[in-house]
Amino acid sequence: MPRKIVIVGAHAAGVDAASAARKTDRSAEITLISKEKHVGYSRCGLPFVIGGHIANFNDLIVFPQSFYQMMKLNLKTETTVTSINPANKTVEVATKAGATETIPYDSLILTTGAYSFIPPIKGKEKQGVYSLRTLEDGQQIDKAIRDGAKNAAVIGAGLIGLETAIALKERGLNTTVVELLPQVLPVMLDKEMAKIVHAMLTEKGLKILIGKGLDEILGTDKVTSISVAGEQIPADIVVVATGVRASTGLATKAGITTGETHAIKTNARMKTNIEDIYAAGDCAESINIVTKKPACPQLGTVAVRHGKVAGINAAGGYALFTGVLGSAVTQLFDTQIGVTGLTEFFAKREGINTVTGTITSKTRADYYPGAKPIKVKIVVEKESQRIIGAQIIGGEEATQRINALSFGIQKQMTIRELAKADTAYAPPLCETWEPMVLAAEMVLMKLR
Amino acid sequence: MVKVNDVEVPEGLHYSKDFEWVKIEGDKIRIGITDHAQKQLREIVFAELPSEGDTTTQNEPYGTVESVKAVSDLIAPLSGTIEQVNSEVQDNPELLNEDPYDKGWLLVLAPSNMDELKNMMDHAKAVEWHKSL
Repeated sequence: MPRKIVIVGAHAAGVDAASAARKTDRSAEITLISKEKHVGYSRCGLPFVIGGHIANFNDLIVFPQSFYQMMKLNLKTETTVTSINPANKTVEVATKAGATETIPYDSLILTTGAYSFIPPIKGKEKQGVYSLRTLEDGQQIDKAIRDGAKNAAVIGAGLIGLETAIALKERGLNTTVVELLPQVLPVMLDKEMAKIVHAMLTEKGLKILIGKGLDEILGTDKVTSISVAGEQIPADIVVVATGVRASTGLATKAGITTGETHAIKTNARMKTNIEDIYAAGDCAESINIVTKKPACPQLGTVAVRHGKVAGINAAGGYALFTGVLGSAVTQLFDTQIGVTGLTEFFAKREGINTVTGTITSKTRADYYPGAKPIKVKIVVEKESQRIIGAQIIGGEEATQRINALSFGIQKQMTIRELAKADTAYAPPLCETWEPMVLAAEMVLMKLR
Repeated sequence: MVKVNDVEVPEGLHYSKDFEWVKIEGDKIRIGITDHAQKQLREIVFAELPSEGDTTTQNEPYGTVESVKAVSDLIAPLSGTIEQVNSEVQDNPELLNEDPYDKGWLLVLAPSNMDELKNMMDHAKAVEWHKSL
């Protein structure tokens, strides 16, 4: 009898889990079940379609139908898994038309993702209030713009909030961003780094209100304005980007345990507390490499790495997930921003004694035309002198520096080792002294 | 060369919906995977192929191709006896990515029933089908 592997969800984690399972077991019956009509698309690309950098929403579909056929993956769309019965090892599904079916499994992988968390704001049910999670969300926002929206408000200045705000601005809308916390990108950046981004965004024409809560969304049926700390700001569109929450309802109903991040608790093989049930992606918790505490950064890279490990294990193989650092990058207008590991703020909150170094340099030789500014901040644990985090803001070349520092953290690199790093140089590509190395030198000076 | 969405669909071949092409060479046929297939798989690392003298059955797997992230069965477009196996593809599977319709051929078969060819798409149909992928 071929092994039956059922995967709930068919985006980054689900499809990568299916591919890894197929590579591990060539004869397994692998079924992907998604309640959505569109599957296997990159939701990270949504703001860039709205902004006009990508022509169509359908361009975000990473896996065409032929991929599922070639990999012998049975795909059920617009089908909802209503319950899991771990005792019988079955799931109950309901199709859009209302037909129900019981599907048996030998291994089950939950990649149920996350949903946009909308805080209890007065007026949030009004027409013109959106979140940006699904392709359909993106299409609705796009339609509202086409229908003539002039003013937009984005609630939340995290990654998605700012990427969306810029997209709206690029489409010609007067856009205001409201953030309750006292800085933009509060999860990614320390305050002094965030200030640089804030100034850049303001200069590019975004209105940003930090440290201010949204009182109310105003308008009769349709939104016309928002009220922030007593100030009324016109808005035909409100995008709520106040974060996402792991979708765990199906799991908890079946007795699957969630952890302190409220995502599904998993072990290093991405297995839940119930035998033969795995979880991966935005719904699953894993361990932060620095703090060794449960973490759920809900990033695309984590989802695919989770999915691969879950898929291999669910298909009878053996693979371990080694943890997350929350490495993330984005581009806001022409500025690239990246983070890996802990910020100084979060390190201090964990009770970690830190020393930091921040260097401003150029992305090419200073004399080379087109050289852009770049700022590198490195966070070091004082006693071990190990690197535990880094932030970069730069005109170019941020991503691979973040990746390099992520490798360093994963290998428990000390700041002294980074200061001695052998780096490459050519005038059109970088400075003679790599800014990461200079930041390390600064930390060493402070440690003297 | 006819291209559909950046995928090559050469004329003069028959095509299966399992992403294989067939070239008629007298009373023999040469088979391989399509450009669409190799593009979906990306860099192919292994090609597991049968041996000369083995037989194939239409619509049944006869081997596999595997890349870093994907693996796919090779589904026989026609039944027959294998007369030649492209050993170069086994040594250099990247030929499947570089030249799927020529140097990346997989097998030469002596078909047992040429009538099976009617289950395949001619070039015009294959072009239409590729548009739907």
